[in-house]
Amino acid sequence: MSIDLSQFYQVFFEEAAEHLAAMEGLLLELDVEAPDLETLNAIFRSAHSIKGGAATFGFNDMAEVTHVLETLLDRLRKQELDVTVEMVDTFLQAGDIIREQLGAHQAGTEYEDPRADEVCQRLAELAAPEIATSGDVDEVQQASTLWQVRFNPSEVGCTKAQALSALFDGLAGLGSIERVREDGPDLCHWQLLTDSDAAAIRDIMAFLCDADGVELLPQTDGEAPFEPGSCDADEDDSFGFFDGAPGTEQTATPSEVDEGDGFGFFAGAPGLDQAEAAAHLVDEDDGFGFFAGAPGADQAVDQEGDGFGLFGGSPGMQEVASVADRDRAEETQGFGFFDTAPGAPKQASTNAEPAAPSQPMRPVPSSAAKPSQAAAAKRPASGESSIRVSVEKVDELINLVGELVITHAMLAESASELDSTVFERIFDGLSNLERNSRDLQQAVMSIRMMPISFVFNRFPRVVRDTAATLGKKVSLKLIGEDTELDKGLIERLADPLNHLVRNSIDHGIELPEQRLEAGKPESGEIVLKASHRGGSVVVEITDDGGGLNREKILAKAEKQGIAMPENPSDKDVWHLIFHPGFSTAEKVTDISGRGVGMDVVRRNIEEMNGRVDIDSTPGQGTRITIRLPLTLAILDGLSVRMGEEMFILPLTAIQESIQPRPEQFKSVAGRGQVVQVSGEYLPLVVLQDVFNDGGEKIPYEDGILVIVDTNEGRAALLVEELVAQHQVVIKSLETNYRKVEGVSGATIMGDGRVALILDVDALVRLNRKAA
Amino acid sequence: MNELSKEGGATMSEDSREYLTFNLGDEEYGIDILKVQEIRGYDAVTKIANSPEFIKGVINMRGVIVPIIDMRLKFNLGQVEYNQFTVVIILNIAGRVIGMVVDGVSDVIALSNNKISPAPEFGAVLDTDYINGLATLEERMVIMVDIEKLMTSGEMGLVDQAQNAAA
Repeated sequence: MSIDLSQFYQVFFEEAAEHLAAMEGLLLELDVEAPDLETLNAIFRSAHSIKGGAATFGFNDMAEVTHVLETLLDRLRKQELDVTVEMVDTFLQAGDIIREQLGAHQAGTEYEDPRADEVCQRLAELAAPEIATSGDVDEVQQASTLWQVRFNPSEVGCTKAQALSALFDGLAGLGSIERVREDGPDLCHWQLLTDSDAAAIRDIMAFLCDADGVELLPQTDGEAPFEPGSCDADEDDSFGFFDGAPGTEQTATPSEVDEGDGFGFFAGAPGLDQAEAAAHLVDEDDGFGFFAGAPGADQAVDQEGDGFGLFGGSPGMQEVASVADRDRAEETQGFGFFDTAPGAPKQASTNAEPAAPSQPMRPVPSSAAKPSQAAAAKRPASGESSIRVSVEKVDELINLVGELVITHAMLAESASELDSTVFERIFDGLSNLERNSRDLQQAVMSIRMMPISFVFNRFPRVVRDTAATLGKKVSLKLIGEDTELDKGLIERLADPLNHLVRNSIDHGIELPEQRLEAGKPESGEIVLKASHRGGSVVVEITDDGGGLNREKILAKAEKQGIAMPENPSDKDVWHLIFHPGFSTAEKVTDISGRGVGMDVVRRNIEEMNGRVDIDSTPGQGTRITIRLPLTLAILDGLSVRMGEEMFILPLTAIQESIQPRPEQFKSVAGRGQVVQVSGEYLPLVVLQDVFNDGGEKIPYEDGILVIVDTNEGRAALLVEELVAQHQVVIKSLETNYRKVEGVSGATIMGDGRVALILDVDALVRLNRKAA
Repeated sequence: MNELSKEGGATMSEDSREYLTFNLGDEEYGIDILKVQEIRGYDAVTKIANSPEFIKGVINMRGVIVPIIDMRLKFNLGQVEYNQFTVVIILNIAGRVIGMVVDGVSDVIALSNNKISPAPEFGAVLDTDYINGLATLEERMVIMVDIEKLMTSGEMGLVDQAQNAAA
């Protein structure tokens, strides 16, 4: 019986990526001096979820790394160890490795990198020292047990030396381990000193081998090893796919170690009736419930239910462990993938007693109840149901709504010829239709909207790493992370922002000594701020560094032969840094300074119909402002007429429009024409000439001048008539045709005709070519 | 004829396909009917700046922006006139939708591959590169065109050349 798990892979990949991102965010938030238990628990939960998923889907490499990670985290959250900066760094590295492994699995390849082992090793070392170094021998002895681990490698499916050493290392994460004898092909005998119980040991081994075949004998210090018969190590690693209450009806004897690792896919309450009879039983349940399943439901005994419910099921939710007279130590952590209900209703009584004198018992931390309480508190907030829908479906919906808006416009136009008194109902209906379709359009557009925090959240890490590389002290402040914009824009914003932030750290923020000299605080600050302004989103990157150096930039421009006016304005000078190949960095670092970049940044942003502006004050810092439309799909535009054709001018580009007088037009020595507008000479772009439409030429003074803002400065665009302001749905010309110079796209007007959307930057370029 | 083509349709196997024939000037051309999406009248087009004369512009076809090419202008054929009888064949080629203005659409025929004979090196307004062969239909000669190759060629300028080179 096998189930094609691959259909769930995508879900796992997405979820795991989110968990990783959450984990990274929390790690960066973590204050090493005074770690917040909540945060530690949240990090642990993320790691645990990834582990559970990875193990279920057979991505053992990921499971391995997350496992060691989790081991250390577990100790941290139980406050057995103190958080150190080193640990956080290692966690971040481990996160990177898991991400790469995830990427490799997603691409269908195997991830191989020695770094994975290194990081695991480091994590294991970090997790271990307490045992090795603790001075409190008594405590160690009380808590720790010496386990004899004996197994036949080939029987447990762990023949490769690599797997074997991974197993060894994995166990080393629990405590100190040594080989009693050399690992042979048919017998391995290790000795493990740990405070973990048998369940935890098997838990680890289960990731790597068939733990059933492992003989695990506890031995308290000084005592002889148990006779194999005296302790009934009943191990139940049940992978119940459909029904499966494996290990049911086990009649347990006292001092039985019962462990139900149930992977219940559909139903399955592994270990259902287990051990009702057992008075002292350590039951640990790692249930991976896929569809329903409250793994380990009705378990009435001491237990730890770690449930990974993928679709339904809050695993371990209905554990009504009501056998009051039993000693119970229950720790429940449910990781619901969809039904985010981590932590089930819980009845934890914490008066745990060692189950049997010889039985090692995991210390029950007094904080055990906290995680689930915290989770329960969060539950209402994250409990809002959501669905995952492919972007294509949403785009299709947006397209259809766009069509609806256009159809409405056509209807309205036809109806405008009717007598509004006679056809009153038609007009009423039309205005209703308009309102509804606008609302619909807005609702559909909002599906694509995502908070900008999706991009911002990566920056704490970027800033931390970059600043560390450069030996600078930089703090990052994020403002307005909830600002929403189109998903497509968010994805495309990431690269330019990344570049700008790194630039700010490299070129903007000074070294700590220089800052102190300049009378500024040692640590620089970078502020990332997003806000809505009018119909656009404004993202600002502000640093309190040295600012741009006007003289240096001008000197550099001269060296590169970039033509500059006599007394350029600051704005003109700052814009020089967007010139291809321009860099004033004294030396090229691996972070920036190569001079490719700022021009790419500007190009990327302009491709999104956005704009970049720079503001800089020497000695006080630089502010880069990015202005973006809310969405890629809709544009606010002004329709203009030229001959018989209609064109759309993006409103963002328009500054003003004027009715020209003949004397305003001047020609410059055969090199094109200029218009004098309020004391300034602007290049004249005659739409008719640029597009060679061959129609009858109109006298310039009969047209309208639209002053537009282009990346080469202001320009005057001559059109015949301004028609109306519209919100237009942008359609690509390239879908069925090719790119047309001077045009950024097309749209469909109310009368069903196509109108081209003008690209003013390209028009100015075209105009110069034509001249 | 009808029966014949029906029969042809019924027994259509790998070596028999259906073709749409159309007129350009005095010549009759055939194209694979599977490339044809629909046939419609000529509508108001929006001109595209700085494009060759034969690219009439773009139209809105149920929300899709479709470029329109006038084959008569491209090959200097026939009377170039736009009225209610002007026909546009909407083609679906390489994932793109393209409209093609022709003099008239005549028929749908089924032909087996062995009825198509190789084309001589000259004789048609189209470059022989784009011609699959010639077929005879009731004494008339039909020129079989590889419409996909023609429309995606650099000569037509419908597809960005970089894209064309990559394809």
